[in-house]
Amino acid sequence: MDDTAISLKQKLWNPEARLAYILILPAVAVLLTFMFYPIGYVLLMAFFKTNKLSQLKGFAGLDNFISEMTEPEFWVVTGRSMLWTVLAVATKTLFGMIIAVILNVKYTGRKVARLLFIIPWASAVPISSMLWRWVYHPVYGLLNHTLRITGIWPQPPTWLGTPIPAFAACIWVDIWIGIPFMALVFLAGMQAISEDLYESAYLDGVNWWQKFFFITLPGIRHIVLIATLLSSLWTFNDFNTIYILTMGGPAGATDILITRIYQNAFKWLRFDRAAVMAFTTFVILTILSLVYARVYFKQERS
Amino acid sequence: MKWKNRGKIPAIIFTVALLLLLLFPFFVMISTMLKSSQEVYSTPPTWIPQEFHLDNFLTVWSEFELFIFFRSSIIIAVGATILNTLLTVPAAYAVARLRFVGRKFILYLFLVIQMFSPVIVIISLFKIMVGLNLLDTYFSLIIANTVFTIAFTIWMMNGYFRSIPIEIEEAALIDGCSRVKIITRIMIPIAVPGLVTAMIYTFIYAWNEFLFGLTFIQSRPKMPLVLALYNFVGRWTTQWELLTTAAFLAIIPVLVLFYVIERRLVAGLAGGAVKE
Repeated sequence: MDDTAISLKQKLWNPEARLAYILILPAVAVLLTFMFYPIGYVLLMAFFKTNKLSQLKGFAGLDNFISEMTEPEFWVVTGRSMLWTVLAVATKTLFGMIIAVILNVKYTGRKVARLLFIIPWASAVPISSMLWRWVYHPVYGLLNHTLRITGIWPQPPTWLGTPIPAFAACIWVDIWIGIPFMALVFLAGMQAISEDLYESAYLDGVNWWQKFFFITLPGIRHIVLIATLLSSLWTFNDFNTIYILTMGGPAGATDILITRIYQNAFKWLRFDRAAVMAFTTFVILTILSLVYARVYFKQERS
Repeated sequence: MKWKNRGKIPAIIFTVALLLLLLFPFFVMISTMLKSSQEVYSTPPTWIPQEFHLDNFLTVWSEFELFIFFRSSIIIAVGATILNTLLTVPAAYAVARLRFVGRKFILYLFLVIQMFSPVIVIISLFKIMVGLNLLDTYFSLIIANTVFTIAFTIWMMNGYFRSIPIEIEEAALIDGCSRVKIITRIMIPIAVPGLVTAMIYTFIYAWNEFLFGLTFIQSRPKMPLVLALYNFVGRWTTQWELLTTAAFLAIIPVLVLFYVIERRLVAGLAGGAVKE
């Protein structure tokens, strides 16, 4: 009994561990104060009545959840968050794959092309979103002008002023920002595949599609999984694009959970609603993050 | 080798087409910033400015006083970078090299929380900033940006420290070097590429950050660049020729920095499967 007590104490409190705790303490203290405590507080807030100053006013049990989740609007926004994430990530993956395949062909200028393809990711997201607002401008914007004069779309919509085009316009900006990351990761994966495989496939007379589906895709399977998980997290969390382009409008048509939380809290001072939505978001993000972390670790070990 | 030469022409065609599509807003930016105000607000709009105007650069600098917001952004981003580094380096060294209970758990935790959304935190973080009397200060943004970059930078530095052969450190320990000396004289110099990546990452994050600025900063001179531009857009009549000029100036520094770290950043995010 005494022995195990001593060895446990030694395990927790030997000079090396003590040094480790001292070195780690500042970072952990900052995280506890400015991340874990605020998250805990918001999660707690979901179970309390709140006033317009976001003070807790008595325990409410599940009342906030019940009143919020019986509102159709809650499900509309949550559903839109899901749709937003799935559509955007799928499109990013598709574009990323196409660009990676192209950049994997050894032509002159591919290095410059690679640098140019990165720009949408490298540029500041809020600033890009503002630029897009100007691009989408119904009267002076060059997008609609170009669509008209080239005859691609003679009567283009008022992008940010009508619900469905506004959703399409917002999601495109999110996709546009996310494509370069996908392309870079896929490209890195493709370049790690041994060239011998392709060469022997060429000698066997295998066509392009077969090479892609039987050599390239299986070779980057793992990377695709990790990149789509990461991208799902970013996409679900994308506040800047929507807030700057439409502020969730027109008439809430582009609101997703993340933007609605902010508006509930800082515009309408409905902290009960904001807290319930934050709770929901927290659960979804935690599940996605845990899956990402698991995959990441599994890959590190192998 | 013949098989390598196949598909070059289609690849080049696709590259050009996709780049035209994806760089569209930047073409618009460059076109607009070179126009006069009258030309920007004429219909139909033009792609190539009838005459090139460089006055917009002067106007954003003198009338719009862009330098004020540049200064704010630099203070916030540099501050966050310094604070982040001070917290990251010791913590990353500990998880990379020292044995203690909870090491694995902490690493796992850092990986999970790096993806948490600032929006979930912002409601209570606002209250904390009010309580600490930090509202409308640079320091509120320095802290917020540090908190939301630290998990990733610790994770990344952990990887760099771990790739340093342990023998170097053991030899130094035998020679009577203290741990602090080992960190400052041996580990940091070797891990400089990693440290630079982590620092640039934090700088860019803080430079591009919008939500915290929007929520914590009220007085105009303290606004970071991104927020100042947003308020410029929000005004009743946006002068887009000036906004695109300011946007151009605001993007250039981060674009250059991003190219420095891009490969290491991708490797850090995607894990061991991606080589730098």
